Amino acid sequence: MATVMKTTRDVKGVGLSIPRPDGPEKVTGKVQYVADIQPKGLLHAKLLRSPHAHARITRIDTSRAKALAGVRAVLTAADMPYLKKKAPTRAHAVLAIDRVVFAGQPVAAVAADEVAIAEEALDLIDVEYEVLPAAVDPLEAMKPGAPPVAEAGTEADTSEAQAHGSVSGVAAVAKPAKAVNISQQAKLARGDVAKGFAESEVIIEKTYRVPMVHQGYLEPHAVLAQWDMTGQLTLWASTQGSFNTRSEVADVLEIAENRIKVIPVECGGGFGGKIRALCEPVTAELARVTGRPVRYVMTRREELVAGMPAPQVIIRLKSGVKRDGTLMALEGEIIIESGAFSGAVLAVGAVFLASLYKWPAFEVRGFEVLTHKPSIAAYRAPVAPHTIYAIDSHMDQIADAIGQDPVAFRLRHVQREGDPMANNQPWQSNAAYEVLERLAQHPAWKAREEWKRSAPAGRLRGTGLSLGGWLGGLQPTGATVRLNPDGSLSVLTGQVDIAGTNIALAQIAATAYGIDIDKVKITTGDTDVAPMTGLSAGSKTVYTVGAAVLQAAQDARRQTLEIAAKELEAAVQDLEIEDGKVVVRGVPDKGVTIASVGRKGNLYMSKVPPVLGVANPAFTQQAPAFAGQLARIEIDPDTGEVTLHQFVVAQDVGKAINPLACEGQMQGGAVQSLGIALTEGLMYDDKGRLMNPSLLDYRKLTAADLPNIECIILEKPSPAGPFGARGVGEPPIVPAPAAIANAIEDAAGVRLTELPMTPEKIALAIAKS
Amino acid sequence: MAKQFLSFTVNGEPVEVLVQPYVTLLDALREDLGLTGPKEGCGTGDCGACSIHLDGQLVASCLVLAMQARGRSVTTIEGLARGGTLTPLQDAFVRRGVAQCGFCIPGVLMAAAALLAENARPSEDDIRYAIAGNLCRCTGYTKMIEAISEAAGMAPRTAAGVKG
Repeated sequence: MATVMKTTRDVKGVGLSIPRPDGPEKVTGKVQYVADIQPKGLLHAKLLRSPHAHARITRIDTSRAKALAGVRAVLTAADMPYLKKKAPTRAHAVLAIDRVVFAGQPVAAVAADEVAIAEEALDLIDVEYEVLPAAVDPLEAMKPGAPPVAEAGTEADTSEAQAHGSVSGVAAVAKPAKAVNISQQAKLARGDVAKGFAESEVIIEKTYRVPMVHQGYLEPHAVLAQWDMTGQLTLWASTQGSFNTRSEVADVLEIAENRIKVIPVECGGGFGGKIRALCEPVTAELARVTGRPVRYVMTRREELVAGMPAPQVIIRLKSGVKRDGTLMALEGEIIIESGAFSGAVLAVGAVFLASLYKWPAFEVRGFEVLTHKPSIAAYRAPVAPHTIYAIDSHMDQIADAIGQDPVAFRLRHVQREGDPMANNQPWQSNAAYEVLERLAQHPAWKAREEWKRSAPAGRLRGTGLSLGGWLGGLQPTGATVRLNPDGSLSVLTGQVDIAGTNIALAQIAATAYGIDIDKVKITTGDTDVAPMTGLSAGSKTVYTVGAAVLQAAQDARRQTLEIAAKELEAAVQDLEIEDGKVVVRGVPDKGVTIASVGRKGNLYMSKVPPVLGVANPAFTQQAPAFAGQLARIEIDPDTGEVTLHQFVVAQDVGKAINPLACEGQMQGGAVQSLGIALTEGLMYDDKGRLMNPSLLDYRKLTAADLPNIECIILEKPSPAGPFGARGVGEPPIVPAPAAIANAIEDAAGVRLTELPMTPEKIALAIAKS
Repeated sequence: MAKQFLSFTVNGEPVEVLVQPYVTLLDALREDLGLTGPKEGCGTGDCGACSIHLDGQLVASCLVLAMQARGRSVTTIEGLARGGTLTPLQDAFVRRGVAQCGFCIPGVLMAAAALLAENARPSEDDIRYAIAGNLCRCTGYTKMIEAISEAAGMAPRTAAGVKG
């Protein structure tokens, strides 16, 4: 329901770059995150973690730790009889029962008066392990006879895929006998692939690898738990979805959801890593046994060793084309390493690989493989940067091999609205074509030959681009809009605001109701008071919660007009809201103020109902969103160092509800994408232990590594989004790896197929060429 | 271990507190003095979220023991705006919508304030270098650079409520 509200003048609302209202609190250090909350009697939690990737626990003795002064509780799995040996998700694996399946897995938990005492207590817990062989390399782990990761009979977890823009029509495949670590398989095929390759004149085959990366949110996971004497649990959580956290904790602890109140505290970044519960259940249990508030804050080392990173993805891709550029066949294999627990968005990855361009024949097989590493979670458009890295690197190489312009070649083959995706669903309205076309008009693309020739002596210069996107997530959600006695509006959702979505939601409410944004206050309520609200994930907050707020504001407007209509003895359709008043169209003197309508809803003995707009929509239509990125780089061929001179993001946002916030998403997403491309990767030794568990060795991009990110906003309205909006958060993390790889090939004539594209890899590739 | 007596100046006020000798200045500020503006993002001096000024110098407070601040002067993000008025730097951050999750922002502002105190007309490269010790995962740094440039008088003000 794309809705254009008709008012006699523009209200201050949708389309304006209004800074988010929590800015002053954030620049003065007043905003409180979980670790900043200090209730009286607070205890601090610490977890003892396994040093081994795979081991049997033969003995745990906590007696020395329990005897330490200041220690209030020491827990092992034996203290939590409800824990399941076949843990269906990571959240259920609160403490290891008798076997650890990744290095860093919690084995025991301590609550103490001070952090230092809790740490000392960890040293006093005696654990004996029988070390077992570990499955570390996913290609080895998927073979029959590899050390098994999951307990036999554990089912695959596909709920993450549901949250992130699910796809249907992908055939599940039975796994081959004895390949115990293959937890999910998928296959997509159309046409005669063998014939397609037989008739191809150019065939290119490459294998692309992307290591595990950490989402990198600056605030580590943190939670504060407290029980009251009636058995009600309150959790102050750093989460992307308070209702989801509540469900998961209730499920693990086996208590009713309405006995848990999750208060979504300011979230210091999540990017997919704070969707699923992680440390909440064990903290709640420590709070229960001590009867005190308990706070657990993960260290950065724990985050890197035992967080929930993005998976390693290995993609083998073979494509065949005619010399005139006709696409013939595509064969792909995507292997997603999920660590110790299932949860990859396998089908989405497989669909993306064969859906962006018009392959007449294709076969894509997907495998989710378990290994003895920390289990994975989403990271902003999960698996899309990986698949686009493969396919858009490939498209550039094909264009190069047949001597065609890489943009013209892509534009000729890119799928459009109505074309069948690999799962035979039609592509919804999107601007993939327009985004790429717009990016190619950029002076930096047009002048790429001049840029190349301008390289100083001993340097190489190149330009690359790539196109990527996201299908857009959906989740039912609710919102209310209340008219106050002074004529102001209060909007309530349960939406966790990380990216600045609340100001966009308030803008939607203002425009839909017909008053200025200054009169709108938006609140994120806790799970006891807010309407059920979905995750802040899947690029769907503005698209779905925005739609709920729009409908609730329209409902409130309708109620306001109906009340005014009686008073004015006019028909509702003759009324409009203007400058805080309901007036009869064409008779500007005849009107009542919104405030008077609001006031009557709160007067003793009044017969006028209080205005309360309510909406609780569910959704069926996704709104794919695309971003194109262009990189202008310089390489020192001796060191392999890449200098980014210019980086451009062109993105279709449908409708920029708040252009300032859209830019923030595009710039931040682009730099995360560049991090995946250039510097980031969790590195494990052959025993499955992380070798770079600090931010010194896990290298994120800094301000000194980057140019300013240039933004080009395109607006192709989505058919169903509020005011035509599409999701904005995820598309910009997708294209940079392929864009940079393409720029490196343009500059140096070498093709890098393994991320991150570090100076070492680039220098070696140039030296070999 | 016995607690030790620490007397120092915090945001212009004299402060006396008992702390364990192994406690970092960051923990003393956050846990004992309730100044939770400085954040712990890593605890190893790599992320810059705990940045404060110690005798006017930018330091990572997670790498300083509380007792090292004895007799010295500390400024945290809470002390940047005096008398409830935002500094031009903070104001530029607000109007340009820099903060998203906001966790890195106190550290970034302390680094930027230290730069501007030393160099009133920094180049863009000076600014990039000055905040290179502050990791941010949300913003891509672009709006930070623009806001710091504006506060240094090098970029035009961007008014709230207009497309800019």
